[in-house]
Amino acid sequence: MSRLPTILNATEQDLQMLLAAQCHLGTKNVTERMKPYVHKTRADGINIINIGKTWEKLIFAARVIANIENSQDICVISARPYGHRAALKFAKYIGAEAVVGRFTPGTFTNYITRSFREPRLIITTDPRSDFQAIKEASYVNIPVIAFCDTDSPLQFVDVAIPTNNKAKHAIGLAYWLLARAVLRLRGTLDYDTPWDVMVDMFFYRDPEEAEKEAAAAAAGLEGKEGEVTGEWGGAAEADWALEGAAAEGAAGIAPVATEWNAQASSDWADDGAVGSTSWADATPANNNPGASSWD
Amino acid sequence: MADTAPADRRGGFGRGRGRGGRGRGRGRRGDEKTEWVPVTKLGRLVKAGKIKNMEEIYTFSLPVKEYQIVDYFLPSLKDEVMKIMPVQKQTRAGQRTRFKAFVVIGDSDGHVGLGVKCSKEVATAIRGAIILAKLSVIPVRRGYWGTALGEPHTVPCKVTGKCGSAMCRLIPAPKGTGLVAAPTPKKVLQLAGITDCYTTSRGSTRTLGNFVKATFAAIGNTYGFLTPDLWSETEFTKAPFQEHTDFLAVKQRK
Repeated sequence: MSRLPTILNATEQDLQMLLAAQCHLGTKNVTERMKPYVHKTRADGINIINIGKTWEKLIFAARVIANIENSQDICVISARPYGHRAALKFAKYIGAEAVVGRFTPGTFTNYITRSFREPRLIITTDPRSDFQAIKEASYVNIPVIAFCDTDSPLQFVDVAIPTNNKAKHAIGLAYWLLARAVLRLRGTLDYDTPWDVMVDMFFYRDPEEAEKEAAAAAAGLEGKEGEVTGEWGGAAEADWALEGAAAEGAAGIAPVATEWNAQASSDWADDGAVGSTSWADATPANNNPGASSWD
Repeated sequence: MADTAPADRRGGFGRGRGRGGRGRGRGRRGDEKTEWVPVTKLGRLVKAGKIKNMEEIYTFSLPVKEYQIVDYFLPSLKDEVMKIMPVQKQTRAGQRTRFKAFVVIGDSDGHVGLGVKCSKEVATAIRGAIILAKLSVIPVRRGYWGTALGEPHTVPCKVTGKCGSAMCRLIPAPKGTGLVAAPTPKKVLQLAGITDCYTTSRGSTRTLGNFVKATFAAIGNTYGFLTPDLWSETEFTKAPFQEHTDFLAVKQRK
């Protein structure tokens, strides 16, 4: 569509990630305004989103976000649990504020509410479930960026990023890509080095899974870790494999299985509430690049 | 439902005791002059003097939530209580009466506001309505009937406003005509700063609430009308929140 510098093009790896996370799979319904983003309807009724357009809108949104001088004026919103973690991580890395869970009506319009804030831009995970935020933004001159599925209403949405917003990997990846794009545009990251923050940080974790990890960490046994990580790792292995395809930096898949497991676990440790000291000891002195990047 | 403002004394409900009738809101101002602590971004910018006049606020359609902003720019606003209307609700123990106050505020030079507030006491209702009127202040575009000589004195073109069934139409009039209107819209037009105007109305103009809202809407439409002299391209300027983003970033309470 618009002519952008080639450095902003999607790399092979990016596109593979999008496909692996199933960002291209829409729903059986399509809204009128989302029709331009649909590539084709599959035999079973699922609409396939045009990933090229996903990337374009993603970069467009990143440019909008990067243009806001004070990043605290940006608000990331997610009512649905699948988007909570992604929104929070995004906010953390960009420097924005996150409103997660129930969006108190009046947050933008009622200056008396405790959660009153006046952002200059909001980013939402789903126009349908975050409708309250979008409605209030319309009262107060706030532009809206939203991750939209094929069945999303685009009323009051200013920048729609077409993607699957039902699957947890898709949501996580979309936010991760957006965050990375913004940081690259700002100059914090450069385009050659892969981002040392892993996509997995943006994925939603089931509470039971999180508990299990915490328990495993507390136990501090290598065997146990291996068991837990293997389970979780299996699901995300596809992403890992693709990420590591370029085979560089922290996210690179080391051929040694233990190193990989320890890496995965160490990520969680920092993320989870477990005291990292026990982890530091428990983790073999592999000098995991992953672990160090986290500290 | 228009709930009473938090700082309301629980005067007994029921008939309007206390000072009855429509008090002239004029004397109400100049109460306890406590320092205004702005809560909204716009408020902070105004207090710091970063915004020059109301017109800047209008250009960017910024919603005004704090009435002190309007006071700051338009200190000479005069208010006019149009009507106090008792409204009732039926309860098991009889009727519960509240008073609805319609207040029009204006500086007779291009700004009008309309506020409607319902409250258990007349005085509270009037006070609340004045605040709401200030929040709803709108710019009025005036023009000429014929030759552009002297100051604009009438509406720039025929405009109309409607509320409910009440419709009010304003038509440009030559200088010296005065306001040819019913008493209700006449007051509104006076406070707006329109000196000459023909009017036509339709519908149930007896319902003052709707009639006043209709003329207010009509006056508001004066700036919504694209006349040939507005055909040139606008030079966009930075919005206040973007321009003063550094200033706003510093003052973070919490």
